[in-house]
Amino acid sequence: MTSMDAETLRRALRDANPALSRFDPLSRIVFCDDFDRGFCGWTQLVGNYEGSLDSMLPAYAQHSHPMLSTLPNWDSGSHNGLDGGYALRVQTRPRRGARNTAIKRLTFRKAGPIRLEFYFTFKPEASELLLSETDVRSVGFLYDLQSGDSDAGGERVMPHLRFLNALDGEHVQRWQFKQALQPSRALGNSGKTATHDHLSPEGWENLPGGEQRLCYNEIATKVNWHYACFDFDLSRWQATSFRINDRVFDMSGFAPMRMPAWRNLWCMLNIVFFVETDTDKRASLAIDGVCLSGEF
Amino acid sequence: MLAQNVAAVVCRNETWQGRAATEPYECGWAKEAIVFVRALKPPAVPSSVTARVQISADGMHWADEGTRLTFPDNTDAVAFARVAHFGGWLRLAADLPAGAEITLLVTLHLKE
Repeated sequence: MTSMDAETLRRALRDANPALSRFDPLSRIVFCDDFDRGFCGWTQLVGNYEGSLDSMLPAYAQHSHPMLSTLPNWDSGSHNGLDGGYALRVQTRPRRGARNTAIKRLTFRKAGPIRLEFYFTFKPEASELLLSETDVRSVGFLYDLQSGDSDAGGERVMPHLRFLNALDGEHVQRWQFKQALQPSRALGNSGKTATHDHLSPEGWENLPGGEQRLCYNEIATKVNWHYACFDFDLSRWQATSFRINDRVFDMSGFAPMRMPAWRNLWCMLNIVFFVETDTDKRASLAIDGVCLSGEF
Repeated sequence: MLAQNVAAVVCRNETWQGRAATEPYECGWAKEAIVFVRALKPPAVPSSVTARVQISADGMHWADEGTRLTFPDNTDAVAFARVAHFGGWLRLAADLPAGAEITLLVTLHLKE
């Protein structure tokens, strides 16, 4: 019998497991969510408030709970997930510009490289017998990160990426990022709570070379899953790689939002998926399989 | 593995007037649901007005399931309705008469 190093053994075990072999994780898997096991910690992103829910920014008040979905269609029944019956579904309200989100909240134990991989698809509500390929405005994801409490010069850092599918009916089809800070404001009188709408429509920039035509398919009720892989280094606050299907994008022109640390968020590692609609029609983002891994 | 048991807030601090409904919620994995309803501000709804549980095959076209609940008449009250065998989609709907309004918190408590 020949000897086998740890990396080869790890790779062999991963390749033998169909649930894992669709991912390409770094050396330690933090979580690998399959929505046949439930929500796996993905929940709605409720806006901050103090004293009254009326203090919540309207952009957050529209958020609602994600769903465990079979992606059912009126004409063809359940599409089901990439693997198994269920996917995580985030659906907007039927109002142009509306958005919705799903969030998972954790913290990091070492400020080093992390990799987020997931399979996703998106569609508008099939309320018309039309292709409707420009009805979904965007789908995307972000990290919400903050330095450890003992780090010098603590920062809150928020890398955002979205696929701008359409805007005002134009089929744009390109990846964008956002580094522009949105104004924050205090909530209530305690001085302890604040809010900012970092997902607001302003300030998005084109990722250089970020044009991409994704498989939308030929009617509004057929979906295809796409693979995404985003590498980020927590020690340098830098994106190091971004892949969608067969395309690897140059991230040298990417920058995350950066701001001074907020008071209660040390070592935060939140992940948010979001979807926006470009028409008065609900838009859905479905995720099936999310794997977060790190080098630690 | 323990059975899934999920609280989904489907309406938070939204004021209903006239014809209104919660956003569609897909929960076909659950065998039973309780719809909890609270008024977050003093409500102004006649006691004869009820909300209707609705079901759907596609999340777009809706039918009354048959279950109704009376809206809470103050901000400390909790109204609820039990639902089972509801298919894939649930929502709560109502037609409020002119002048009536209520600011709602609606939670679906779902179990498989």
